[in-house]
Amino acid sequence: MSTLNVSNITDGTDTVGTGYVLNGSDKAWINFNGTGTVAIRESLNMSSLTDAGVGVYYNNLTSNMLTANYCTVMSASDAYPDIGNCIALLTDAGAMTTARFGIVNINETTGSYFDSSRICTSAKGDLA
Amino acid sequence: MTKHLWERLLEAKSRLEPVQSKYRVLFEDPATPDEPAKVLVPDPNWMAAALAGDILPPIDTYQRDRLVPDGEPKEHPYSEPIGAMTEEEAIEYLVMKDIDPAVWRDYKGNRTIMKIVPVEMIPSDRSFRNAWRIAQ
Repeated sequence: MSTLNVSNITDGTDTVGTGYVLNGSDKAWINFNGTGTVAIRESLNMSSLTDAGVGVYYNNLTSNMLTANYCTVMSASDAYPDIGNCIALLTDAGAMTTARFGIVNINETTGSYFDSSRICTSAKGDLA
Repeated sequence: MTKHLWERLLEAKSRLEPVQSKYRVLFEDPATPDEPAKVLVPDPNWMAAALAGDILPPIDTYQRDRLVPDGEPKEHPYSEPIGAMTEEEAIEYLVMKDIDPAVWRDYKGNRTIMKIVPVEMIPSDRSFRNAWRIAQ
């Protein structure tokens, strides 16, 4: 694999530092099925997923983050349109470490934890 | 100089086919006895990297890094990668990496709190998921 060693990228009009590009890219992401036998569809920089109960999962990273103050983004599908939308949220901050972070998936209508067929998360920040 | 682990993972993802493991790890956390049994699901890209070799760092680097404070340099990203593992060895590596040592090393009780099982043994019906326990 060849390496480009440059400080900036430009299209001729706008210029951006490569540091912004690297810092702004996802360092880890995952797309998994939280229903039935839980399985990972696709991912980057994940070693495993812990299924901790209905609607509760933990993502375990292969290459850890530098500090526990990184940023996570989450989304979840609704397997059954008649029972409302789902919201994927970060679990309590204490469970977030440089090596893993947790997700709770909540049914917006009932307010209870829920297994969605498609749950996606990503993490941005500095790697260790 | 050894490439950063994340770069090695990126490169591996571009050339290796993901491998869905035939195993799952069931475990209970002795610190939270009221919670249901947990199921560790190996990542297919990670498993492909473990089987291929020359990508993942030695497991002891992760164990030493557990003791390194946040923000301090970690050992595992720049460690010399280890060779290929069998799927069984990869699962044992994953247990030591992603499950708390209180489960697989320090527990002294009589209950069986961890089992490596074929994926077919995990129920696909999750109606009573929060009541799952490891059979004794």
